[in-house]
Amino acid sequence: MINVGINAVIGIAAFVALLVWTSPIWAALAAVGMLAFSAWEWWLIGRQVAAIGYAERDDDLVVTQGIMFKELVVVPYGRMQLVDLKAGPVDRRYGMATLQLHTAAATTDAVIPGLPVAEAERLRDRLAALGEARSAGL
Amino acid sequence: MTDHSQPTATRPPADARRLHPLSPLAAVGTYVIPTFFALVVFLGDVGIAIRALIFIVILVVGAGIAWAAWFRTSFWFDADGDLRVATGVLFRNERRVQVSRLQAVDIHRPLVARIIGLAELRPEMAGGESGKVRLSYLTESDAQVLRNELLAHSAGLMLEDGETAATPAPEQILVRVPGPDLAVSGLLDIGTILAIGVGIGVVVFTLVWGNPAPLIGLILAGGGLVFGSATYFMTYFDFTLAESPDGLRLRYGLLNTRSQTVPPGRVQAVRISRPILWKRKGWVRLQVNVAGYAGGSDDSAAGTMLLPVAPRELALAVLQRVLPGVDVEAVNLVSAPPRARRRAPFQGRRLAAGHDERVMVIRGGWLTHTLDVVPHARMQSLRITQGPWQRTLGLASLHLDSTPGPVSPVALHRDAGQVRGELEAEVRRARAARAAFRPERWMRS
Repeated sequence: MINVGINAVIGIAAFVALLVWTSPIWAALAAVGMLAFSAWEWWLIGRQVAAIGYAERDDDLVVTQGIMFKELVVVPYGRMQLVDLKAGPVDRRYGMATLQLHTAAATTDAVIPGLPVAEAERLRDRLAALGEARSAGL
Repeated sequence: MTDHSQPTATRPPADARRLHPLSPLAAVGTYVIPTFFALVVFLGDVGIAIRALIFIVILVVGAGIAWAAWFRTSFWFDADGDLRVATGVLFRNERRVQVSRLQAVDIHRPLVARIIGLAELRPEMAGGESGKVRLSYLTESDAQVLRNELLAHSAGLMLEDGETAATPAPEQILVRVPGPDLAVSGLLDIGTILAIGVGIGVVVFTLVWGNPAPLIGLILAGGGLVFGSATYFMTYFDFTLAESPDGLRLRYGLLNTRSQTVPPGRVQAVRISRPILWKRKGWVRLQVNVAGYAGGSDDSAAGTMLLPVAPRELALAVLQRVLPGVDVEAVNLVSAPPRARRRAPFQGRRLAAGHDERVMVIRGGWLTHTLDVVPHARMQSLRITQGPWQRTLGLASLHLDSTPGPVSPVALHRDAGQVRGELEAEVRRARAARAAFRPERWMRS
């Protein structure tokens, strides 16, 4: 969604620039192109968000994401080293946060973006507690 | 969840130990020669007197800094048996090496320190560059005593007052890599193929166009090859792998020597690899992931070599010692479906994965054949990934995430319909293995 916003800003800037320095025809063409791209991106991001999912199971957390490049990660609670909760300015404006799990492996790619803050905090506390309880040595 | 090196504000106790007084000399000594050559070669329009002055100033300032750092460094064991290291001239910093989290202990002897008879002790901990503790320098015997103490504490043996750990645990030598084998194996690596390919290209180019300029490229390629092989030879010279109750002992190096001790159960994954040119010799190489050697911004990546070159049977025997009860040859491997060759034409035929009750084994590779072995108990997380082309072919890859290192086990291009079942089965095996295995304090009854 943020991408669409950024596109809109770039699009308007490009439109104004083309209007000033070249003919209105080019500006109109660019505007149509930008609109089409934004519409496509809107649709794509909707699908991408729909593909993000997570499930708390008895012994592990499962996170899925991606449409073109699909990924499914299983992180056992006993393997979690760190649970990160992040929220940028836009996240905070809409009451969202991003949860990231770290294990001793750098390749573990378990990120859940766009969680409602309350759910993110509940999940973080639960994961931290479970991680403590089941922590296994390296 | 535990921070093993948090700074605290306590003062060092009265009986805190010091590094060796010659440490500043060894620290300065490591850059005397590079500085000297830099000054001789570079600065164009400067007289000899100025150069000598710059050289002396650099050395004096460097020596001053090194001396201050030495003066303000001390270390001791606290009541829990953990090692504390206090450093810092202006900003004091105290680090704790939590022995229960110790992954390995290395003793490095850079050439200059080695001439003076000093050594650097590196307790390797899991996680992060920020946590690296380096004790440079101690006398060689002190370094060994301290290493034995750390390993003994880590194993759960607290030493009584007055008792010392001067005698290391007895060791049994498993492999000694002969010098000629090492030299030949270095030359027969993949880099050689590339260099020869470049060389042929250059010669053809020169003959066709009659322009000798690309011959410089040939010389560079040859030089790079010689340099690479020489570095490899000097790094792993006289590679000795031994086993002791403390764990695996590795010793190697021609000019800078290094000896590593990896306690039992610290090996996270093993890769058996065979560059194509080694086929006739029947040689393989063993590399390991050990959590403490992660990062790799300094030469620590070298710590991941378990055996640079050895006949296959010998390497498999070593593997049995590293991962007891594992017979890689007996593991039943299930090949990737034949359509995987359309996605991976070169290595598709070799792709396979299988498991027994202790480990998961993954086969792959084209120019360098690889066999990755990961104990179920050491699995960090599991992933399935699928790209667009894989989806068209009904394939997906199963990743077994291990700690950072040379081994990154991926079962490429499995049947997409079965991969989820394989993942869940591995999740169950890993859970059972974790519940059964407790590596900390391995010698405490």
